[in-house]
Amino acid sequence: MSIDWWTLGLQAVNLLVLVWILARFLFRPVARILAERREAAAAVLADAEAARAAAEAARQEAEAETAALKARREALLAEAREAAGREAEALRAEARAGIGRERAEAEAQIARLRESGQEEAAGAAAALAADIARRLMGRLPDSARAAGFAAGLAEALADLPEATRAGLGVAAPLRIRAARALSEEERRDLRDRLAAVLERPVTLDVAEDPSLLAGLELEAPGAVVRNHLKADLGRIASELARHG
Amino acid sequence: MDNPLVLEPLFRLGPVPVTAPVVATWAIMAGLALFSVLATRRLALRPGRVQTVLELFSATLDGQIRATMGRDPAPFRALIGTIFLFVLAANWSSLIPGVEPPTAALETDAAAAFVVFAATTGYGIRYRGLGGYLRTFAEPSWVMIPLNIIEQVTRTVALIVRLFGNVMSGVFVIGVVLSLAGLFVPIPLMALDLLTGGVQAYIFAILATVFIGAAVGESPSAAPRAKEEEQSP
Repeated sequence: MSIDWWTLGLQAVNLLVLVWILARFLFRPVARILAERREAAAAVLADAEAARAAAEAARQEAEAETAALKARREALLAEAREAAGREAEALRAEARAGIGRERAEAEAQIARLRESGQEEAAGAAAALAADIARRLMGRLPDSARAAGFAAGLAEALADLPEATRAGLGVAAPLRIRAARALSEEERRDLRDRLAAVLERPVTLDVAEDPSLLAGLELEAPGAVVRNHLKADLGRIASELARHG
Repeated sequence: MDNPLVLEPLFRLGPVPVTAPVVATWAIMAGLALFSVLATRRLALRPGRVQTVLELFSATLDGQIRATMGRDPAPFRALIGTIFLFVLAANWSSLIPGVEPPTAALETDAAAAFVVFAATTGYGIRYRGLGGYLRTFAEPSWVMIPLNIIEQVTRTVALIVRLFGNVMSGVFVIGVVLSLAGLFVPIPLMALDLLTGGVQAYIFAILATVFIGAAVGESPSAAPRAKEEEQSP
């Protein structure tokens, strides 16, 4: 067995040349295209990641916007509810005020009506009483319309204050109104009674006033003493009107 | 019958005798170069069938180099890939009638082994520096220097003999059986030869990777595996 050194050398050179050829035309192009594909894939992945990030950002933005819109809607609703509440409260207050005014006016009207009714009723009652009294007095003898009232007038005069009584009938005669004309005896009896109360002699100026129905009335500056049915009926009417 | 281990020149180029393995190697080179040019002429991001096969081969080759050396495979891809493709094509060229595989000649295997040896030394010096590469002979201690030097020679010789023995024996067996039995009898042996040729191409390439990886400094995790593969056929 022997070695052919020429063949060995040629084969070594051939192998080196083949290494160069395959490196140049096979391995480098394939490695290059693999690297390009890797870069393209990385770029696509980067783009996808960027798109995903953008989508995520958009989603978060949309969520934030939705939340803001929801909050704004809630605020608007709350504001509207508050405004409606205020409006309703104002309307209720206005209604209450209107009702109060109407009620006050109605009560005032009622009071006025009641008052006028009472006044009318009192007036009617007084007129009716006066009419009844007049008719009853018409059935009594004339002496009963005056004679019985002299004592009551004297008592009422006695109830006046001393200072008032002191000034009565000093400067002028005491003016007496009677329901009918008094007889001389009745005048004397009345004068005596008044003089006894005033403790001095008095003169009388008697005038007839049928509107008194029955009784006497003394008029003097600073004092009026009434003792007749007209005054009594007036007081009764006033009491009736006052008590409804 | 002539001695089959002695190469007779087919013709001469001046003083240089050109033998059959050289001519067969030129043919293989031309075929591989033509295939490479045609196959890589229209590479695209969306690969066709041929491009897919090429990319699969390249990715597998890179994976083997990376797994064995623990390094970026780019600087070693062309050498390892060319050795594998050449040995594979040379082994399988025996299927063509009348063609004796170049790897059945000792000179071709020796040339390939010497190229691996030179590459191992060159890459070792390039990656470690001359001093660093020489210091690897004193690992794990200076006592190992003679043994390491012997190992450099013996493993190269082992590369040569392993490939030569396998391929040459296949050729011899087929020739003997063909001469004794008839035309179609060696077909199973030829099929076995295909398997043997593929395995031998893989072994030659992976051992070259292991040697270069050991020279440039392999990763600690790859070391036990490299030793294990070195002791395989």
